[in-house]
Formats: sequence, C-alpha cells, structure tokens
Amino acid sequence: MTLNSTAATIAPGGADCSCSEFLSVSRRGLLRSAALVGAVTTIGSSVVTMSTGGAFAAAPARSVVVVLSLRGAADGLSLVVPHGDPAYAAARPTIAVPRGSLLGADAYFGMHPAMAPLMPLWNAGKLAAVHATGLPAPNRSHFSAMEQLEDADPGSAERIGWLNRLLGQDTETSAVQGLAMGAMIPTSLQGAESSLSMMSLAEVGITGNDSSNKRLNSMALMWGNSPTAYGAGVRSAISASTDLKTAQALPNRSSTYPDSDLGRALADVARTLRADVGVTAVTVDSGDWDMHSDLGTVSAGWMARNATDLAGAIAAFFADLEGVADKVTLVTISEFGRRVQENGSRGLDHGWGNVMLVAGAGVKGGKYYAKWPGLTNSLDADLQVTTDYRSVLSEIVTSRMGASRAAVFPGFSPQTVGVMAGA
Amino acid sequence: MSRTERRRARQAKATKGRKRGKGKPSRAPVKAAPVPVVKKTDYTAGSYPATTVLAAGDRHLVSRFSYGTTPELIAAVNAAGGALPWFEAQIADAGSTEDESLADWWPDLHLSAGEIHLRNQLRLRYDFKVMWDYSRRLLLRRGGTRLQVREVMTEFWENHFHVPVDRSFYLRVRRPYGDLMRANAFSSFRTLLPAAIGHPAMLIYLDNATSTKTHPNENLARELLELHTVGVGNFTEDDVKNAARLLTGWTVRTSSPYDAYLDQAQHHVGSVKILGFTHANRAGEGIAATAAFLDYLARHPATAQRVARKLATTFVSDTPSQALVDELARVYLANDTATVPVLRAMIASNEFKGAVGAKLRDTNQDLVATLRTLGVGFQRPAAVDDKSGANELNGAANLMGLGPQAWPAPNGVPQVSGAWASPGRTMASMKLHWLVATRSWPTLRVTHPTPASWMPAATMTFRDLVDHLARRLHGRASTTALLQAACLATGLTPTSTLTRNSSAANAAMPPLLAMFLDHPDHLHR
Repeated sequence: MTLNSTAATIAPGGADCSCSEFLSVSRRGLLRSAALVGAVTTIGSSVVTMSTGGAFAAAPARSVVVVLSLRGAADGLSLVVPHGDPAYAAARPTIAVPRGSLLGADAYFGMHPAMAPLMPLWNAGKLAAVHATGLPAPNRSHFSAMEQLEDADPGSAERIGWLNRLLGQDTETSAVQGLAMGAMIPTSLQGAESSLSMMSLAEVGITGNDSSNKRLNSMALMWGNSPTAYGAGVRSAISASTDLKTAQALPNRSSTYPDSDLGRALADVARTLRADVGVTAVTVDSGDWDMHSDLGTVSAGWMARNATDLAGAIAAFFADLEGVADKVTLVTISEFGRRVQENGSRGLDHGWGNVMLVAGAGVKGGKYYAKWPGLTNSLDADLQVTTDYRSVLSEIVTSRMGASRAAVFPGFSPQTVGVMAGA
Repeated sequence: MSRTERRRARQAKATKGRKRGKGKPSRAPVKAAPVPVVKKTDYTAGSYPATTVLAAGDRHLVSRFSYGTTPELIAAVNAAGGALPWFEAQIADAGSTEDESLADWWPDLHLSAGEIHLRNQLRLRYDFKVMWDYSRRLLLRRGGTRLQVREVMTEFWENHFHVPVDRSFYLRVRRPYGDLMRANAFSSFRTLLPAAIGHPAMLIYLDNATSTKTHPNENLARELLELHTVGVGNFTEDDVKNAARLLTGWTVRTSSPYDAYLDQAQHHVGSVKILGFTHANRAGEGIAATAAFLDYLARHPATAQRVARKLATTFVSDTPSQALVDELARVYLANDTATVPVLRAMIASNEFKGAVGAKLRDTNQDLVATLRTLGVGFQRPAAVDDKSGANELNGAANLMGLGPQAWPAPNGVPQVSGAWASPGRTMASMKLHWLVATRSWPTLRVTHPTPASWMPAATMTFRDLVDHLARRLHGRASTTALLQAACLATGLTPTSTLTRNSSAANAAMPPLLAMFLDHPDHLHR
C-alpha cells in the first residue's frame, strides 16, 4: 500500500452529508474500484483516497509501440509498389502507380509519390517497409480478420488482444498503459489490463466535477463496485482524467499535422507521449481504405488522398515527439491486402498479403524487407503472404519492450525479418 | 497492495464481467483497514407513491422496446391494460401515418433524388447536409414518436442492413432506404432482404452498381452472405464468387430517378451454385434467378440462426443461450421468416423475463433517452442549419462518438455492451448528462423543464424527492444506495427539506438530475 499525493478524493464532500457510515457501507466497492486504477489508502477515519496520478502513474514507459490500423484493408501494392514485378502494371491498367513516379525506389520496390512526407524518415533510416505480410491463411472478412489479427492467439477462445498481453508483461502500472484513440477499445487492447480510450485529449475529464468532487464521489458509489463493462469504463475514465492532466497542459501542435481525423489523433498521441505518464501501447485507427471502386489515379482520388494523409500524419508525429522520440516505434497494419488485379469498378477486391510500415525507435530503416512471392495477373490472384505479421510484431515487442514472445504471441514460431535492431 | 494483488483483483473483475447475469458474482479478496463509524445517518429510502410506476415485468418489456419511459408512455401502457397488450397494439399500429408530420421540419427530406443531386451540383445545399437533416429527424422520431416499438425495430433493421449516412455517391437515395426499413419493421425477412439488397443505396454502397460480368465486384456478395444472411463460416470463397456473378448487372440509373435495375448486358449468364442453391440463370432469367437466390438465403437455417441471435442479443442479453436462439430460429422458419412471431416468442421466454437491465444503451440511445426522459422540448429550427437544438442533435451524437446510422463499416453498430463501455464513452455520457441536466445544452429553440417542475410538492424532504425522481426518471422506487448517491451528488442529507423555487432546491436539481442520468438504471435498458 502506498500513500500518494491526493489526486481524487473518494469521500463525500458535502458538509451536511454524514459520510463515514456511507463509506463503511461501500468501502469495499471503493477499494475495488481503486484497485483497478491505482493505490488505495485510508487517512484517519473516513477518507479513502483513490490515487490516480501518483507515483505509479508518473513512471515513464521504457518503450512505446503505436499500432496504426489501416481499417478496411489498405492496398499495400499501391503504398509500396513492386515495380520490378511485371505482373503489377499488367494487372492494373487504370490504377497502377507509374514506375517513374515512385519515391525511395530500389530495383524492385518504391513508394507511392503521395508518401513524400515520409522520405526524410526513410532517408534517415527511421522507416522500413515489410512486404507480403499478413495472416497465415487468407481471411477475406473485414470483421473476422480484424478479430483474428488483433487477438493473435489462435489456440485460445479467450478474447484477449495481443497488446493487452503485452501490457501484462511489463512492470508498468500506469492506469493509461494502454491507450486507444477513438470511441471504442479495439480487440488488440481488450483483456484484463485496463486501457483508456479517448476521442480526443481535450475530452478527457469528468465534466461538472469541481474541487468538492461531488460528482466524482457519486459516480464512484454508483459504479465503483459494478461488475458491468460500463463500471470498468467509468473507473478507468476517473483515473485517466487525472493521469492525463499533465498531457493536457502541454502545447497542442495539431496545426503541424494534416487537418484530418488521423492528424488530430496522432497529435493527441504525441502530446500524451510527451507527458511521459507511462503509456506503453497505443492504437490509432485510420479508416476508409476499403477501395472496391474508384481507387483513383496516382495524383488524385481516394488512394492518393489517403496516402497523403497517412504519410503526412506519421511524419508530423515523429517531428512532434521531441524527447520521447527514442522510445516510440510505430507500425501500420491492415486486416488483409487486396487483389493483384483491379476489378471492373477501377477498384480492388479483398485479397491477402499486405505491406507493414515500421517507423521510429529501433527500426533498421531505409530499406524494403520482403520474401517476394511473385505476383500473378489473374482474376482472383492474391499477393501471397510469405511473412506472418506476428514475425514483424514479435521483433518490435522483444527488442523494444523486452517482452516474452511466447506470452504475447502464444504458440507462434517467428521467421527472422531483421527489421529491428537487437531483435 | 502489491502488483500481484492488483492483478488478481482485475482478473476477478474481468471474470465477473463475463459471467454477468449468471448468479451472484464472487467477491474479490481486497483487504483494507476497517473504517471506524463515527455517526449514523439513516439512508432509508423515501416514499412518494403518488408518482406511478409500472410493475417490474411491464417496465422491462417497455424499456427494451422504447427509447425511455415517460409519464405519457406509462399512461399508454396502463390504458392498454399492461405492457403486453401495449406491445400488441404497437404492432397493430404498424401502418400508422401519424408520424409523417412528426418533426417534419427539414424540407430537403421531401426532395426527390434528382432534386437533391441537382442542388448538390449547384452547391445550393450539399447532399451530405441533407443527411444531417435525416439524422436529426431520426433522433427526434426515436425520442418523440408514440410508435416506440416500430421505431426500435426500424433501428434494428436499418442497422442490420447498414448503409452509412455519411458517405458519398448514394446519399441522394438514402432517405427512402430508411423509410423502407420503417415500412417493413414488422414484416418478414423474405420481404426485407430483396428490398434492402436491391435498393439503390445498398447497390452503390457495396459497389454492386459498378460490378461487371468480366470483373465482378465481390463487395456486396460477400457482405450479403457474411453480414446480412448466413454468416461467417457458413460459406466458401467460391460461394462469394458465384454470388457476385449472379449479382452482376444489378445497378443504378445514373440519372433521375436513380432507381435500381438489372443491366442485362452486364449480367453474368450461366448456371450458378451458391451453398445449396442452383439456378440455370439463362439469358433473360437474371431477375428471377436473383429473386430466387435471395429467397433461398432468407429461408436458410443459418440465416434463421443469425437473425435469431441478433434479435436476442439486441433485446435479451449480450450472451443469449443457444437454446433461445434455436427456439427463435425455429419460430422464424415455421412462420415463413415473419418478424412478429419471433418477437412474441422472445418476449414470452423466461430468458427475456430474467434479463432485466442487462442491456447497455449505446451512445445514440443514451442521447435520445436522456432528452426524452427529462422531457426536453424541441421546436422547429428557425432556419436551415441554424444553431437550434434540433439542428445540433446530429453533431451532439458525433461528439459522443457516433452519429445515428453513421457506423463506418457494413456490419452496423455492435449490439453488445462491451463495445459501448470504453472509458471514452463513459466520459462522453457524463458530459452529455451534465450539459442537459444543467440546461447548458441544447439551448436555442428548446424548452428544458425548470428546476421547480421536478418537485411535485411545494415542500418535501430530500429522501422523498429522490423517490419521486427515481419513479419519474428510472421508473421504479428509490433505494438506499440511490439515496446515498443523491446525497453525495448534492451535499444534502436525506432529511434536508427543500422548498420549491428556493435557491437551495434550484441549486441541487442539476447535479441531482445528472446523478440520475449517470446511474446504471438510466444507462441500462
């Protein structure tokens, strides 16, 4: 038990309210509530303090992994183009990215020109691309593939995500170890370790709670002991509203990011990470990659727009990290890739293999990693997966987080990718 | 507490979450020094029986099939002779046109697809703004209609056959799609399925409108099998490809009236086999073959299971038993896929009756229930897109995480509580509750009940006021725990005496109302 600087006092605040027997009624609930989010102590006869921003929370994370999910299944063959494979251009008469426009090209691969903002990271050796990655067998359902990908424990019926298992590995105890940008907690973070979700950093807080903590106290009574999912959410919210105050006090540099949902989300992530309050695993979603129709041209349209946003936001993110940049590794992931051949709608149907971008701390960048399977130009050909996506993630979590691969990816035997230093 | 102990407590908590509803959860072993009791306050709940409530079983049924109980709804249930007769009367009123004028405040919702498109092109008003109107009216209908069960079922089907309201290309034809769901709220899956799949909004959204026989677009075919009918695991990739072939040519006219038709020139001709369905699909047979295929899917046992499970998950609990799902699927197939017999079987089941308060309201349901239960009144906006409360509804829903029918993927919003229990969601709900309880939002062209209106007597003790409000806002008598929460929220004691319109009463009311809205009994239905 640790005595902490008081962050939020779970004690009746009203002068008229007779408090102590109320606490005796519900003390267990409050303690259990507090047990989920921080330390507990009693002072004198009647005050229970739920620490939400004390010594535990202040402990900085050793390393941070940011998982950027390109929801809807991005076309990896447009983002990182295998121009050296003759089937690529042949399969895509209206949507192929011309070889001459590619950036950072080597003899076989090159990046979509809309990825220009990432070239400084690439040239500095801070960004790598791993191609032909994905699930070990094709799963063309968005929803089922996302579950499988983020659960990453095919032998278990328990719904615990790989990032949640990662959080269970370390000795961090911050209430905001896991952070999901958005309204919901993705599968990857679900499990016993609690995580925070937020629409934006500015929205974190208990509206209407003042220094007397009346609202906080009534919330704690109503939900502190609740076995419901919502109860757990309330407890994390109360905790995080204190934990993230230091982050909220830092300057918001979202103006240096693309004016987009992704830009705003990554700006809030950078601000939170700069506060160094123990955030270890972050999930950010970039939606709208399901380009069945009208993917567009190299310079305009859906893919060009998305790639511009993606590259600009990632570049701004790393420029914004300052002192914590050497801790943060970002990886992009999609539930699957898309077909080699374009369909009649100038788009691409559901395929299999994809590219993963890995950027930041520990990355051996400036190069493409791939066991290239070769493309086939036929109606339903996929990019075959030659590197299980868990091999890439394994290298990140073992080299950066010191985690046990067997615990995070149970039963998985990785291939060597070599994309991370020290992996 | 050590890290190990904390972890154990968490795991105990997580286990409980999964076992909810299956008997009493075990207590987590958390030790703490005893807190000495210094003074006793009597938190015996107050009593204000003049404020009527429904019997628990009636409240449960009404709560599941409405957007929140109100005095008017209670009166209607009592007038009908109870919740079951009320439910049947609601079904009998399925064809009522009384809502045509309800919140009919946005003239663009009466425009044809051609007119919306033209005005979009001329930049008189963009089509996505017409969908703002759609969202606003949808929320007001949910909150305001007498036909609560029809609106609840409309939401269910509109979510099952989800076509988001915030994308492009098909917005000009999106409003009638919702009307179609409302018109079929109580029909049958055999009727709904071809109507939804063949609708221009769906054909464009899931890319079938541009699918061709040489390069079939698989998007609609896959989701038809995976989401709308038999479900994942019950079809193969070949089934997807053949379904995509069969659907080729189903497209949408690129000029007014933007209706759907089968373009024979782009329709794949030749026999198809999908699951157990086969059809020669010879030239000229495309329309008949597609209709036969959709009818086959509607009556497929796996579809029956999927629809039954979704209904049970939405209206019974997050984890309905296989026995209940099997029974509902049986009723579905025995009644030619009709919805009403399935609903009747569901609400008659012991599992339904035992699942009181087991469903968490999602953010849209919380938004509507909060405004509806408090009785916030909305007036017609003074101008298009002005800052009237009615015009701010869709934005408020977005700020809470998601506008109505705006879920970004074709699977529709999740029906399980876990999806709506993230910390971010709880903060959003706490914010909404506070803003509405303090009358800080909405503000323009709305009426909020005054603090005085929440007091049924000129002078009352706090514990009796809390009992009145529990009856009025939660539909049930107060408890000791609720009274304690009310004391915490306001700083008052059970015996505090409040006088209507006094500064003390007026100051206590907003945090007190917020407490009622933050309470599990408001957030669950």
